[in-house]
Amino acid sequence: MHRVRVVLGHLPANSRGIWAENSSAAADKSQDIVIVAGRRTPICKAKRGGFKETTPDELLSAVMTAVLNDVNLNPELLGDICVGNVLQPGAGALVARIGQFLSGIPESVPLHVVNRQCSSGLQAIINIAGGIRNGSYDVGLACGVESMSLRSVGNPGDISSRTMDFSKARDCLIPMGITSENVAERFGITREKQDSLALASQQRAAAAQRSGRFKEEIVPITTTFTDDQGNTKTITVTEDEGIRASTTMEGLGRLKAAFKEGGSTTAGNSSQVSDGAAAVLMAKRCKAEQLGLPILGVLRSFAVVGVPPDVMGIGPAYAIPAALQKAGLSVHDIDVYEINEAFASQAAYCVEKLGIPLEKVNPNGGAIALGHPLGCTGARQTVTLLNELKRRGKRGFGVVSMCIGTGMGAAAVYEYPGH
Amino acid sequence: MAVSGDGRLHAVRIPDRHGYAVEFSPYKPSTLACATSQNYGISGCGTLVVLEQSEGGIAVRRSFDWTDALFDVTWSEISENIVVTSSGDGSLQLWDITKPQGPLQVFKEHTQEVYSVDWSQTRGEQLIVSGSWDHTVKLWDPSFGKPLCTFTGHENIIYSTIWSPHIPGCFASASGDQSLRIWDMKTPVSKVVIPAHQAEILSCDWCKYDQNLLVTGAVDCSLKGWDLRTVRQPVFELRGHNYAIRRVKFSPFHANIVASCSYDFTVRLWDFSKSSSLLETVNHHTEFVCGLDFSILTPGQIADCAWDETVKIYFPSCLSLP
Repeated sequence: MHRVRVVLGHLPANSRGIWAENSSAAADKSQDIVIVAGRRTPICKAKRGGFKETTPDELLSAVMTAVLNDVNLNPELLGDICVGNVLQPGAGALVARIGQFLSGIPESVPLHVVNRQCSSGLQAIINIAGGIRNGSYDVGLACGVESMSLRSVGNPGDISSRTMDFSKARDCLIPMGITSENVAERFGITREKQDSLALASQQRAAAAQRSGRFKEEIVPITTTFTDDQGNTKTITVTEDEGIRASTTMEGLGRLKAAFKEGGSTTAGNSSQVSDGAAAVLMAKRCKAEQLGLPILGVLRSFAVVGVPPDVMGIGPAYAIPAALQKAGLSVHDIDVYEINEAFASQAAYCVEKLGIPLEKVNPNGGAIALGHPLGCTGARQTVTLLNELKRRGKRGFGVVSMCIGTGMGAAAVYEYPGH
Repeated sequence: MAVSGDGRLHAVRIPDRHGYAVEFSPYKPSTLACATSQNYGISGCGTLVVLEQSEGGIAVRRSFDWTDALFDVTWSEISENIVVTSSGDGSLQLWDITKPQGPLQVFKEHTQEVYSVDWSQTRGEQLIVSGSWDHTVKLWDPSFGKPLCTFTGHENIIYSTIWSPHIPGCFASASGDQSLRIWDMKTPVSKVVIPAHQAEILSCDWCKYDQNLLVTGAVDCSLKGWDLRTVRQPVFELRGHNYAIRRVKFSPFHANIVASCSYDFTVRLWDFSKSSSLLETVNHHTEFVCGLDFSILTPGQIADCAWDETVKIYFPSCLSLP
């Protein structure tokens, strides 16, 4: 799409989306949906890490409080809260409301929860954006949270006995690891490709951690933890636990396939099972300016698409172009991609299929190194992305995308305004 | 010869084709050639459209398809039926518009999109010059399939290459590297490099009345006039367009008039000798206007084409005043 880029280059910088610029929905900048601030907890290993006994309302409360404190916002001004969650009963409707009260946010502020599986954290952002866009309120808080220590993926719920008569319905029951094997087999993503993506994720995350790049986004969490000897103590977790700086190709190569004999998906090239939370404060631009709030990013577009459930991992390959088109941008206009590494197979496929230069993808590592607390991930990626663009300083564009179990993909385009 | 009356705007729609360049035939006042592309020239094929004006309006007489976008067109100075187009696939096509079977010749040497092509204006030689996104200008003898010379020096896309109507073997080029360059075809290196804008320059043209005068149109929305004897400062600067200027041409009948078309959907006419230089804004397109030409046989007549699939031929009122 070189020609698109050249022509777009002839237009003023603030209208890199020509089609958007010239459409009837032409930009009234004051109506932009902006991200004011975002924070996350460290991400810990499920069932043995620092948060193995920490309830999700506590994780939520930590990030909700931190984000409001960061910009010194009176919580009464929040028009709504949305929390993405996957594993709590009813997507954590109760747990999230409790988290709100633990944070000192008054009862007058409403709250709802959303479950679009691995995109729940992003969907929460989009739900709040929708509320702002349709005029229901001007400021809202979007969060994501998951404790994979206290709840497991498992119970599929109550499903019809006719499920097996419908191939797509049946495919929704395929374990995620097998959908990864399907992607690898069907699209020829070799074990070596998967392992090298996993290695890059670990190395980049380790480098980011070492140089303190996550410091600004992480809220240290003080919680209780019972060690192997049964001693319960108070600990403060300040860093992501899953990163393994010592990972090597040889080490990854020795791991056995985790889901299927002779398969290529291993514990080393899949996302980690984790606990964590993230929160993103959002507002209409004119309201943010009126309240003197900072602008960390602008939400430019969002798309969610359906794909075959048995290769659900290809979702980003379809969602990203759809979101880019809505924003009037091309693959090359984007500076940073945060593409969730549910599995190295699907992430490698999507990156290859879209022709994205590898250096633009997950520059600070992805879920293989950091972990993938399901409902938190989309919000976590948004926080990490906007902090990365902010570090670069220049005006830039970023994409957050992930695949979604039962066959979907979601993607959002953000703009960092530059400073 | 001149069309009279007030129904002086003729328009034709070319369905699914987005106009990039339109040129009047230097032989017949009623004939025009238009280079068009599918999908705004982003992907798909291109079509050379030959248009014919009559009392009743303007109609497509013939069309010729090419497998990639067509971005520019020029008429031959040796035969009234020969037209050359430039394409997104890096090639030039030499067509006989009486022969429907395809181009007589294809010159393929550029490695990227060719955005401009021009047939020499002086009588001494019959040569074609082409400018490409591969940063080079190539010189062609239409009777010989290989380029005679490749001119390097531009550091970005070349958008425009135009022969001087006065100086034999001399042409100008405008580029995304923000420079206007003047070349002698006997020297592969440019003698004059003018840092004309602090933005990409999408078009340039030579004055028909003053051999030292050129105009450039750029992404910074301005037109600037350049006297080759004093290139440090522009001799005029015209502002008014709201978006990048896509093409600019001097009038063949008025020494001080230029016309420009833009991404702001308008065509504007200017008299650069006047202090309020904008004479007229023609606002009859609904998309980017990319092609523009003055008729050299019908005084005061202009043709333009845009991404809204239409070609329009008209007499701007400012040109019909005595």
